[in-house]
Amino acid sequence: MSLPRGSWVRCSVLLLLSVAAHASAAEENSFDASEFEKKPFEIGGYLQLKQEDFALNRAGAFYKLGNYQRPQRDSLDRSTGTMELIGKLRQGIGTFDFRTHSDLQQDQLAHDHTNLLYEGVYSIRPDPGVTIEAGKRTLRWGKGYAWNPIGFVERPKDPNDPELSREGLVMANSDFIFNREGPLQTIAFTPVLLPVGKDVNSDFGAAGHLNPAAKLYLLYRDTDIDFAWQGKGSRPGRFGADFSRNLTSNFEIHGEWARIQQLARPVTDSTGRVTTQTANATSYLLGLRYLTEKDTTYIAEYYRNGTGYSDQEARQFYQLVETAFAQVQQTGSSVLLPKALSLSQGGYGRPNPGTDYLYFRAQQKDALGIVYFQPSITAMMNLQDRSYQVTPELVYTGLKNLDLRLRLFVLQGARWTDFGEKQNSRKLEFYARYYF
Amino acid sequence: MKKLLWLALCLIALPAVAAIDGAQILQKVDRNLEPETYESYRQLTDIQPDGSKKVSVLYTMKKGRDKVVALFLAPASDKGRVTLRLGDNMWLYIPDVGRAIRITSLQSVTGSVFNNADILRIDYTAEYNVEATEEQKDAYLLSLKAKTGEVAYDRLKMWVDKQALLPVTIECYAASGLLLKTLHFSNIKDFGGGIKRPATLETDSPLYKGYKSVMQWSGLKKRDFPDEIFTLNYLPRVQELRK
Repeated sequence: MSLPRGSWVRCSVLLLLSVAAHASAAEENSFDASEFEKKPFEIGGYLQLKQEDFALNRAGAFYKLGNYQRPQRDSLDRSTGTMELIGKLRQGIGTFDFRTHSDLQQDQLAHDHTNLLYEGVYSIRPDPGVTIEAGKRTLRWGKGYAWNPIGFVERPKDPNDPELSREGLVMANSDFIFNREGPLQTIAFTPVLLPVGKDVNSDFGAAGHLNPAAKLYLLYRDTDIDFAWQGKGSRPGRFGADFSRNLTSNFEIHGEWARIQQLARPVTDSTGRVTTQTANATSYLLGLRYLTEKDTTYIAEYYRNGTGYSDQEARQFYQLVETAFAQVQQTGSSVLLPKALSLSQGGYGRPNPGTDYLYFRAQQKDALGIVYFQPSITAMMNLQDRSYQVTPELVYTGLKNLDLRLRLFVLQGARWTDFGEKQNSRKLEFYARYYF
Repeated sequence: MKKLLWLALCLIALPAVAAIDGAQILQKVDRNLEPETYESYRQLTDIQPDGSKKVSVLYTMKKGRDKVVALFLAPASDKGRVTLRLGDNMWLYIPDVGRAIRITSLQSVTGSVFNNADILRIDYTAEYNVEATEEQKDAYLLSLKAKTGEVAYDRLKMWVDKQALLPVTIECYAASGLLLKTLHFSNIKDFGGGIKRPATLETDSPLYKGYKSVMQWSGLKKRDFPDEIFTLNYLPRVQELRK
């Protein structure tokens, strides 16, 4: 007997709900701190079941490229089971931390699974102000919520899920912290070495480089300030800075600025002629976070992506895709299609390939008088072509160790625009995540 | 003549004594509640109108008058989260996010009636001035006013037990005069090392009718910490400081 697609996710969610309810009922009222003593080995993590229903955008360039030579569809249902294990092993002055990520994914077109070590790092602390680490590690630099122009030594953040854990990079790094009295309260220096070889960090850039990088953090007059640098190596050299400060107790502002030196950027015209433009690229971000008396949080960010494509450049690419598929329809093959496919796997295919974006999010804590119920709405707009995405979201965290999230992505844009050419025009997503 | 001299001296000294008393009482309240530098474990229980509960456990470290770090040990969904307070500045480190973000005193990292200012409380004398002191039958009533606009509650009315010099009830008001919440201290416990203080704090709020939050202390003891741990860079490693 086989269950309809997606049913196993629904059944599993019911099972998770029942486990969470049982755990809640069994909870003890007394408080004994000895239960929480530090142990030599600790393990935890979460189990997540996610169901996604996509309404595909059959006229979109990325749908055409992604579904070439496949049966054409209007919708797709995808079920994903994810498990992350987070652990810690302590011995002497050393600690080994790890995070594994495994997922199993199934939709009408494919069945896939991944098993990755997201983090595995050994650290020693000879002094409270000194930490030395080596292994696979995620270092998150920057103050932006949706984007981080100075995130030099990390994999790109998904602006649709900024708080999602990400796979780290193999590196050696240290932390030197100095605390003092006066307006400059804290100085912290973080040097990093990030080697790239055939089998190590191969997706970071060209092999055969050690890639030094560093960050200097200052807490100066109640303002967080970072200066970041990455030397030329597997990627072009880059440097930048960020800041974050509370103007009042409920109003925070932040910003980031980064310059990539001599960035080579492939740019195509509508006939598939690709030129490489090399120039310094400057990206920056300005943002704010504001909390009202009624517990509504507003987050707004403007992002200037110096590595992105202008509206005109993006249009040339979309025209190329259209021409390539017109050739396929007319002649059965196309010399342009491989070029378009290759470009779509590079800069043109990034989640945010444009140059100017606006991000806005409003979230209400304990809405409708229901504690732990948080509805929110998020909007992201490409300011050059006026295409956008709106995401209403409902989150409930009132059951012990169980997070429930439902959200709908609505993408809107004209032909040859950023969000108008994405693979899907709508997406309904639900997940249940149980922590243990 | 002697009587007149004594009366004159009393009249001259009275305002000064009254003013000093309030500030001194508040200083004593701070030190009687906890040493200036200490570690403790706390359990926060949020009780909903239907009786269902959500429990969080935190390991807390405090140094000086205004440096506090709190590490979440439970529930599993919050484990590893760390909050840091340096004076008016507050940050939250979430392991999945991998970096600290600024938070405000009026938010609640646990989603409870206790907000971040309650959870990361620093010395009352660091945030409030005593405006008036009233002697009642068993208690002193201190009227406190926030030193700056950054403080979570603009005014506090604090009833202090006369004998123990420990708070019994605190009413917390917004600048508009609105009562935001009431804190009730109870269950005096000897933690050892000369620390004898309430082990339970309950709060209710007219803004959250039917909801209640309870904070319970355990393992409160004096311990000195290096300054470096009260920094953003140290937050991912704070749990290694537990013994």
